[in-house]
Amino acid sequence: MTNNPIEGIASAHESEHIEQETGWQRYFFSTDHKVIGIQYLVTTFIFFLIAGLFSMVMRGELVTPESDIVDRPLYNGLFTMHGTMMIFLWIIPTQVGLANYLVPLMIGARDMAFPLLNEIAYWIIPFAGLLLLSSFLLPSGTAQAGWWSYPPVSLQNPSGHVFNGELFWILGIALLGISSIMGGVNFVTTIVKMRAPGMTYFRMPIFVWTVLSAQLLQLFCLPALTGAAILLFLELTLGAPLFNPFKEGSPILYQHLFWFYSHPAVYVMVLPAFGVFSEVIPAFSRKPLFGYRSVALASFGIAIVSTLVWVHHMFASGTPGWMRMLFMLTTMLVAVPTGVKVFAWAATIWNGKLHLQTPMLFALAGVVMFVFAGITGVMLGSTAFDLHVNNTYFVVGHFHYVVYNTITMAIFAAIYYWFPKITGRMYAEGWGKLHFWLTFIGANLTFFPMHPLGLQGMVRRISSYDPQYQSWNIVASIGSFLLGMATLPFIINMVGSTLQGRKVSDNPWHATGLEWTTSSPPPVENFEEIPVVTSAPYGYGKSKAPSPGATDRE
Amino acid sequence: MESPIHPNHLQQPLPQPDGSAHIEDERSKVMFGFTIFLLSESIIFVSFFVTLIALKLTAHQWLPPGVSGPEITTPVIINTVVLLSSSIVIYFAERALERNHLGKFRLLWLTTSAMGAYFLVGEIKEWLGLNFGVSTGLVGATFYLLTGFHGLHVTAGIILQMIMLARSFIPGNYNHGRYGVSAVSLFWHFVDAIWIFVFSLLYLWQAT
Amino acid sequence: MKKILNTLILAVFVIVSILVSYWLGQQAYSWMPAQGTAEAKRVDGLFSFLVTLGTFIFLGIVGLIMYSILTCRASEGDFSDARPDRGNPKLEALWTGIPILLVLWIAAQNFSIYQQIDIQGLTPIVHLHIPSATEPADAATIVNNNAKPVSEQIEVVAKQWSWTFRYPARNVTSTELHLPVNQSASLAMRSEDVIHGFYVPEFRLKQDIIPNRIITFTVTPLREGKYRLHDSHFSGTYFATMTADVYIESPEAYTQWLAQAAARKPAPAKNQAVAEYARRQEYGFKSNWPSVAPAKPPIVNYSS
Ligand code: HEA
Ligand code: HEA
Ligand code: CUA
Ligand SMILES: [Cu+2]
Repeated sequence: MTNNPIEGIASAHESEHIEQETGWQRYFFSTDHKVIGIQYLVTTFIFFLIAGLFSMVMRGELVTPESDIVDRPLYNGLFTMHGTMMIFLWIIPTQVGLANYLVPLMIGARDMAFPLLNEIAYWIIPFAGLLLLSSFLLPSGTAQAGWWSYPPVSLQNPSGHVFNGELFWILGIALLGISSIMGGVNFVTTIVKMRAPGMTYFRMPIFVWTVLSAQLLQLFCLPALTGAAILLFLELTLGAPLFNPFKEGSPILYQHLFWFYSHPAVYVMVLPAFGVFSEVIPAFSRKPLFGYRSVALASFGIAIVSTLVWVHHMFASGTPGWMRMLFMLTTMLVAVPTGVKVFAWAATIWNGKLHLQTPMLFALAGVVMFVFAGITGVMLGSTAFDLHVNNTYFVVGHFHYVVYNTITMAIFAAIYYWFPKITGRMYAEGWGKLHFWLTFIGANLTFFPMHPLGLQGMVRRISSYDPQYQSWNIVASIGSFLLGMATLPFIINMVGSTLQGRKVSDNPWHATGLEWTTSSPPPVENFEEIPVVTSAPYGYGKSKAPSPGATDRE
Repeated sequence: MESPIHPNHLQQPLPQPDGSAHIEDERSKVMFGFTIFLLSESIIFVSFFVTLIALKLTAHQWLPPGVSGPEITTPVIINTVVLLSSSIVIYFAERALERNHLGKFRLLWLTTSAMGAYFLVGEIKEWLGLNFGVSTGLVGATFYLLTGFHGLHVTAGIILQMIMLARSFIPGNYNHGRYGVSAVSLFWHFVDAIWIFVFSLLYLWQAT
Repeated sequence: MKKILNTLILAVFVIVSILVSYWLGQQAYSWMPAQGTAEAKRVDGLFSFLVTLGTFIFLGIVGLIMYSILTCRASEGDFSDARPDRGNPKLEALWTGIPILLVLWIAAQNFSIYQQIDIQGLTPIVHLHIPSATEPADAATIVNNNAKPVSEQIEVVAKQWSWTFRYPARNVTSTELHLPVNQSASLAMRSEDVIHGFYVPEFRLKQDIIPNRIITFTVTPLREGKYRLHDSHFSGTYFATMTADVYIESPEAYTQWLAQAAARKPAPAKNQAVAEYARRQEYGFKSNWPSVAPAKPPIVNYSS
């Protein structure tokens, strides 16, 4: 806190930023939300590659029925770290990075509400990630109990060491939780308190709505996971028998705490992706988002219902019948607000003027594959059927269709779409399309076969399996190697275009939204002058001729 | 809240109109952010309460043989009274600052911290005298969990109070408003309110 | 003219979608393993229903999107906007209302199937501990809605990483599960260490086994054959090896097997986890991370 009184506190504030702007330090010690946003994106992408590499090893192991490439403890460690890192170090934080970059721009703010907090929240991420990864060097190895870390297995600690993989897992999760709470406080405050004049709630782009609802979920559900981690810690390290069934403890209790967060977490992951679809699809259909208000409210609908469905992950656990039926019903209800969004996207492209550039391809494919994933989700929600496929590859197939085929696709769509805004240059369209097709084909080849495998009864988390399951596994493995290679054109494109891409105007897509009214890349405090908003978002269709930067700005 | 311009700062140049708006903005942001943070934090406690309630309801044997649960002894009651009344003291401290009685503020503020510290010492004493540890059955696990986690919050509150106290000696510290003090005071009320739940669940509700 | 054509296309599309959905729904039966139990028939019926409905929804939405992709492309260099269409309250109400009905329909189907299966696997988790109300500890409710009588209750013991089955009447223990066909079998399952899961794909049922609790589970095998039981709840290092053979056989064969098994002397069974733990297999890459030592192989009358 600066002590120099008055003298335009605002300008003192500004000069702070401008000082930082020069030199390499800008990329390390900046509190500018745009720099932090990029830091998030780059860091989490590296974790994505590492966690993806783990999955490549897993898929390699699963080519043959025998357990031969890696030994069993390592396989277990690999899927545990794959799941944990993909969720807590890729999908969730990468969208936080996107939101970091975009939300202040979209609502016409100069920065996030608490820039320093923002920076700290970011720096926890690489630190926690390295902590998790360092557990590979421990003599006892990494955590090996799956990303759920269910006791009693997670607390068995065969090495007897105090510093074991499970402890590192707990610390990593707790740290990432702290970072997420900081982020949640920051986003919610920014969106509630810092909107530009005239930016009413119903003038906010859907992306902002989805970030708001996702971050509210973080704030009010994530503490349950932090609580669960603390309880695990007490039992693992100090021997408190909270979850020990032989000492009156209850392992089921942990499951409730875990899923009370981790179910809503899946909507924390998917809501911003829905936001991305809602931005990209109108821009490339040249039409306003159909049914804006209902889409905005559906975000909150999803968030609210999603806090009441967690037991659907525990249908086969010690769950009594009435609970099974109750949570089946709530689970199915999520389909309703979600459907509202899907139908709105379909209606948006209807009679539009579609431009099938890379962002749009990723978005449309993401929507289509999401519908598939949602339908298998509703199947899983049907208790009687779930009892058959629970803990089989059917579930693995279901959620990869969301986490990869929907959300990761949405992230790619977003990166391509806002690339010219972030860098001032255009990516290479040809490489983008190549990336898209490799990803689309690879992803379906990898994750579709998991459904028949699950129906046939192949259990998940096994490194050896019955030979009858081999053929589909080979397909999935080939698909996954293709998918791994599909990241190459992306990386080449990003690096190459950032350095040498064609320079473009501030609004190459002729898109609406405040972020497109400022320069590319935006200046340190985003806007020369804070814009005043006078109309609803998605003002497409007002101009017949191409007009650069058709926006709400006066 | 009153205007951010205070008589004892009048020797310094007055804030421009836009500057004071900025302070007001900053204040409302910080208090809003801090409030939702506390709401979020309270969910951790809720998850612990749920844990305790679920275990207490389902356990066949809550107290292992030879262990008596935490008892409501005189020190515990005194401790509770001290902690809860510190909420009143901090309220008056905050009010004193609003009225710019800086000296009175510091005195009351320090009293609050002292009461918090008294509570902590009392709690540690109680811990040392108990006939069960963290690993002694569910009773021990949940007792140390809740009192420990709450104690950490009391400690954090005292540290924050010390920082605010130190800051009060920096000239011009309150030009940006006093939301630091308001936030710490809010935190303290939160910690006290939590204690009511902890106390009820651990001491008042006795299971076998 | 164009309007009629469009309506026609739409009608054809809907009819084709219905036909495809129906066909896929029928195909769905063949994606499943053999139907080993009465429960399996019902679950497959539910699955077929879900596939039919799901396919129809999927085709509907994807058809709409594909149609737009094919017909609504902007021409090269055309950056003009399309006709703005900001919404339509009636349409939006419709696509909120219809999914609500669909979802309720699915839920109702599911509820009725679940009732029919009626696996009252578990005593409720939260039984309030009221001292006055005396309750039998871990009482197991056996719910049997089938006409056939329940044969004796078979004990299932899961531990890291082996299955043991005990037939109390003849005091037979085995690492194979044998069940007579066409009779409800009641299993009393317990775990000695961590959570395990009882899962035979052909039975379509699954139940986690929570340690220190007895969990009962009723199935009615209908089809003779050899199946495979797999632990379905991740239970640590050698989880993948925790399988057992399940034989559904005629009552005669069943009693014969029981008698034969009873005659054998108990001996330690082969156990893959124990073997792997001792042997330290050849792997491309070895981590040598420590593992929980497998429990001693069960001592049983009968093992394969
Ligand atoms: C991030 C993403 C994400 C998303 C968005 C979803 C969405 C949904 N999921 Fe999924 N799920 C996961 C990630 C996700 N899931 C993960 C990671 C797991 C496994 C974790 C683990 O075990 O490791 C899992 C597991 C999981 C299970 C547990 C299975 C088991 O372990 O046995 C269930 C069960 O109910 C389920 C259900 C659903 C449902 C009903 C939805 C719904 O939200 C889907 C709603 C969408 C639609 C239905 C499509 C669009 C709607 C319409 C077009 C309207 C008309 C439709 C109808 C009327 C049906 N999911
Ligand atoms: C956000 C989430 C996310 C994402 C994106 C993915 C992506 C992938 N997942 Fe993941 N997965 C989970 C979340 C995710 N997964 C979770 C939560 C589990 C459950 C874990 C558990 O059971 O506890 C799981 C489990 C899981 C399993 C089941 C394991 C088992 O049960 O035994 C499998 C098996 O095939 C699998 C495969 C893949 C593949 C092939 C990808 C591919 O999409 C990945 C594509 C790969 C890359 C993009 C990387 C390419 C990199 C290179 C080629 C090398 C370059 C490397 C460097 C430069 C360092 N995953
Ligand atoms: Cu209490 Cu059984
Ligand atoms: Cu869920």
